Amino acid sequence: MDEQTTLLEQIMAYDFALYDLQLFLDTHPSDANALRDYKIALDQAENLRRQYQSKFGPLTPRYLPNTTCWQWINDPWPWDPKGGMSNVAL
Amino acid sequence: MWLYEKKTQYPINIKKPDPRMAMNILTQYGGPNGELAASLRYLSQRFSMPTKETKAILNDIGTEELAHLEMIGTMVHQLMDKVPPKELERLHVDTLYAVHGRAVYPSDSNGVPFTAAYIESMEDPIANLNENLAAEQKARATYEYLIRMADDPDVIDPLRFLREREVVHYQRFGEALRIVQEVMGSKKFY
Repeated sequence: MDEQTTLLEQIMAYDFALYDLQLFLDTHPSDANALRDYKIALDQAENLRRQYQSKFGPLTPRYLPNTTCWQWINDPWPWDPKGGMSNVAL
Repeated sequence: MWLYEKKTQYPINIKKPDPRMAMNILTQYGGPNGELAASLRYLSQRFSMPTKETKAILNDIGTEELAHLEMIGTMVHQLMDKVPPKELERLHVDTLYAVHGRAVYPSDSNGVPFTAAYIESMEDPIANLNENLAAEQKARATYEYLIRMADDPDVIDPLRFLREREVVHYQRFGEALRIVQEVMGSKKFY
């Protein structure tokens, strides 16, 4: 696997852990262990997202690379072939 | 509101087209137990949820269902993409092609269009949460039918992920029902 795919899969894994914990915390808002795990996964996901976007372009329109053109529209989109695995081809 | 993120919730990369399987999976896009019905059901019901926990869980599961809708659409698209019309005819998928081409359209596997009649949204949270428990089980059963018919690991893997999410959502809705029942039992509700 190339670096872009590896990094995106790591982000997907942490984001999944975060979403599953989010649902758990919705019905268990005082669970200290889940809250601690959420904080750990959130730090990891934010760090990986920063690395990914600086190398491979925006995951959301709120990341604006220092370029003269709008990179958000770049192929592939998630439904394109391999798009669910890797997104912005530079 | 929502902010789009340019990735699927779970990796999808289907290398081998399979129009029959695309047609089967299509029911989880716009069919009675599909992801569109799920997201619209929960995102509509959230407005009448009585507690902070239940507002949050309906909002957040409804949002996850939109990500599942995107996963199913991606699978249908990749399974149908660029398959020649004659091949679709040979595989008996040509009736869908005659109506929509190879597009992703919200219908069930028989081409019956999506209808909001698949869902209910009532002011009564007990009625809503019981409907949601049933809906998650029906979706789980549907994913099991689909997994039994699939033979490509690229297809089976995301279907297994989606099946597992139905089980987790069922668990969370059960907790939400218990929370609502406790609140209603502890004070005069009406």
